Amino acid sequence: MNRSFRLFAAWLILSLILSACGSSGALLSKQVKIQLVYGSEKQEWLDPLVQSFNASRTKTEDGAVIVVEAVPMGSIETMDAILAGSLQPTVWSPASSLYLPVAESEWRKNHAEELVAAPPKDLVLSPVVIAMWKPMAEVLGWPDQPIGWADIAALATSPEGWAAFGYPEWGQFKLGHTHPEFSNSGLMAVVAQAYAGANKQRGLTLQDLSDPKVQQFMADVQLSIIHYGTSTGFFGTRMFERGPSYLSAAVLYENLIVAQETKRLNGQSQQLPVIAIYPKEGTFWSNHPYVILNAPWVTAQQRQAAEVFQNFLLAEPQQRSAMQLGFRPANPNLALGAPLDMDHGVDIRQPKTVLEVPSAEVVLGSQALWRQTKKPVDLVVVMDTSGSMAGAKISAARASLGQFVDLLDDRDRLQVILFSSKVTELTPLSELGPKRDDVKRRISGIVEGGNTSLYDAVGLAYQQLQRDGDPRHIRAVVVLSDGQDTSSNLGLDQVTEQISALGEDPGNAIKLFTIGYGKDVDEDVLSSLAEITGGKYYQSSPDNIQKIYAEIATFF
Amino acid sequence: MGFTSLEPNKLIGHVDDMNASKLSRWLFAIFLLMNVAVFAMALVLPGFRSVAYAPLRELLLPPPSPIVVTVLYSTEKEEWLNEAVASFEATRPTYQGHPIQIKLTKMGSREMVLAVLDGNQKPVVLSPASSLQATILQDLSISRDGTALVRAQDPVSCRSVLQTPLVLVMWSERAAVLWGENPNGTLWLRLQEAVVNERGWEAYGHPEWGYIKFGHTSPLKSNSGFMTILLMTYNYFGKSSGLTEQDILGNRDYQAWFQSFEGSISSFGDSTGTYMKDIVAYGPSMYDVVAVYEATAIEQAQNAMGRYGELRFYYPPLTVLSDHPFCVLDADWVAPEQAAAANLFIDYLLSRPMQERALLQYGFRPADASIAIDQPGSPFLRYASSGLRLNLPPLAQLPSGNVLNTLLEFWDRTIRR
Repeated sequence: MNRSFRLFAAWLILSLILSACGSSGALLSKQVKIQLVYGSEKQEWLDPLVQSFNASRTKTEDGAVIVVEAVPMGSIETMDAILAGSLQPTVWSPASSLYLPVAESEWRKNHAEELVAAPPKDLVLSPVVIAMWKPMAEVLGWPDQPIGWADIAALATSPEGWAAFGYPEWGQFKLGHTHPEFSNSGLMAVVAQAYAGANKQRGLTLQDLSDPKVQQFMADVQLSIIHYGTSTGFFGTRMFERGPSYLSAAVLYENLIVAQETKRLNGQSQQLPVIAIYPKEGTFWSNHPYVILNAPWVTAQQRQAAEVFQNFLLAEPQQRSAMQLGFRPANPNLALGAPLDMDHGVDIRQPKTVLEVPSAEVVLGSQALWRQTKKPVDLVVVMDTSGSMAGAKISAARASLGQFVDLLDDRDRLQVILFSSKVTELTPLSELGPKRDDVKRRISGIVEGGNTSLYDAVGLAYQQLQRDGDPRHIRAVVVLSDGQDTSSNLGLDQVTEQISALGEDPGNAIKLFTIGYGKDVDEDVLSSLAEITGGKYYQSSPDNIQKIYAEIATFF
Repeated sequence: MGFTSLEPNKLIGHVDDMNASKLSRWLFAIFLLMNVAVFAMALVLPGFRSVAYAPLRELLLPPPSPIVVTVLYSTEKEEWLNEAVASFEATRPTYQGHPIQIKLTKMGSREMVLAVLDGNQKPVVLSPASSLQATILQDLSISRDGTALVRAQDPVSCRSVLQTPLVLVMWSERAAVLWGENPNGTLWLRLQEAVVNERGWEAYGHPEWGYIKFGHTSPLKSNSGFMTILLMTYNYFGKSSGLTEQDILGNRDYQAWFQSFEGSISSFGDSTGTYMKDIVAYGPSMYDVVAVYEATAIEQAQNAMGRYGELRFYYPPLTVLSDHPFCVLDADWVAPEQAAAANLFIDYLLSRPMQERALLQYGFRPADASIAIDQPGSPFLRYASSGLRLNLPPLAQLPSGNVLNTLLEFWDRTIRR
């Protein structure tokens, strides 16, 4: 009796505890997951905030714990994936609103509801600027003399380059901006160039874009481009690591300059100081809109959770940390102060004016005009066809190389070299337009077998491109290899010397992009070869080789 | 107490004890009966609930049904109103014993008019940003149903709770270049000349400032945009009353003037607050001048100083008030007790503490004229040097709902993008 009473009491207490936990959600915890896909420029700001927000186990009104998954991704790539339905995030935060009308008009072709239903809030702000080494800017009259795209175009077309200003040691004027079909800052740069060419600050039309004067202006600026790329942050890093001989100036966001100057002032960078030029014709703001998608896959609960996270990001402590990283806070309650100052290369009294954001069709038209006027590329593709490539590797490599060729323009010049025990040429360096179909057909017939003469192939590609390439073009070599060199006559040291000791402007030198394909590669060798030239190394496999080729294509 | 007074009876003996216990049994029975009666009454008339014996009341009586007062309101007063509702409900307000519950739904001013007209929303109280929208709802419902859903001019059914005029806010440095001191009577005319000039700021000696960037909200979505185009139009005709449909639809010169003015603006947003926030967050590169409510501008004036410098206030020669009427609807879905409860809530909003809070914290002009706007701590003292004025310019006459609608439709047809 007594024992059964005690059992009963224990059961009663336990069930009370359980029901209490259940109602407070401690045991039966509900979760709501939201995915935020964002422009990588704010990764350094967002990463720790996402972590601390998730750790705080903040809940929605209905008691579900909010879990944020944040994925950095190029803005325009994200848009394409959302439109295709292959990416279904709750929130999209690109670097700027410039492309939102384009996304909306594409979305509405297949959907009754708008993708962006309510005007999104800005998370952080940063104007698009031309980052330039301070001594170079001073030669151009900075800070007293306003500088703009017209000055850049004049520099770009000057045969003497910096020598015209008495600084022959700086070589040619070398500019960088990202690929306008993949990145916001590149897109904003070419729209700004179109405005400057049309001598307008608002009301840019398709008619303006077909004006030969505008086309010539954009072509002039493009002459000074060393290469393109997808990521604005990558460009900044390249410029700040490699210094003035690699790039004289690059189109970046203001916050990247503040970040670099902070590093330099802390002794973490030995580079020259860098400053922001706010183009005198006007510029655009990157405003990092927080777009809670009005898409069928976003639930009401996710929307609510997304709003909670948004409020967290806009609250003063989080906005303050953004300012420490060089952004201008979107929350107007925060006064602007250090490090947003001249000591860090920026001037908050600038910009003085914006350019009017053009319509979706004019944005697309500016991209098309850039395609027409961009610097062509002289490209050598070097592909490993050794015996170890057999199977899925060779077939994925063939297919993705074919698709890669489709990403190039008719005006581009292409050479394809295959290597195994020996080096053979699939097609010589010549304009792609007339031979595109033939090249693709030949690529589809590539077979594997033999050893790996990696160094010989790279050395040959370099020599030939050095001899036959046009220095006014972007010149690049893309090497794919699945293993270590086994049969070259050249050694690593010799190849390294060949590709680095060329005694010209390193910014305009041939860029080497290397792809380590599979697990047996020597990553150190491939990445150091790429690094020496200002190119980039990629680790790849048959699963993602297509994506890697697509990213390399954004460099030119 | 009662028992101690009975104590001496103990000595009297058994019989009196019997009497005492009989008495207490009787008293208990009466107590029970009264309770039953009160409880029964309370079930019919919740007013009786408070008389009922408290411990039993909470145990036995079902809670009285609340009177729910739904309020559609425009966003500019959101923070003040949320605060007011919280403190109102903390007073445990009741009407005839029923607790009063306020349910707030925020919505654009014009959107709420259309939603009520279409029957998508059936609120007890409608509070758009201004009487302009109440007037439109009144006229539209009369022309459709023959009866008014709201009586906009009736001081009992629509009570103005907060007031704020439309102002132009401009960066001090640029205002000095554009028009020096206050342009007063010619404000809209001079602004129009400036924004349509293709040379932009170059015409004023500052090419680096680009084109002249003026911003206001969409009149279709937001009341401040609506007030802006109404005041522009009055200024063009140089009158302060008697605007007609013929003025808007029959005057080519006016139309050309108006269209070029509005054509200089590249996009029209939904929210007045966003414009004000943006001019402060982005600075003069984004907007030189915006048309917003005085209260909205006051809220950001201090922030502007910390970002890009002083913003100055400019008053148009004539003004209209965003007067935040709280209108109890004359609709079949509004029960008399809901209307009565709504009025208790509106009384609360008009009480001195709530009105002073609106002034000191949010920069609204109180509807209660006895509250001085230049009292210590008032933003009207703090920003007087930035052009904030105590006295309002003369008020423009509010045209009829039909004229207002004609103006909106004209804008929709020729300007909207």
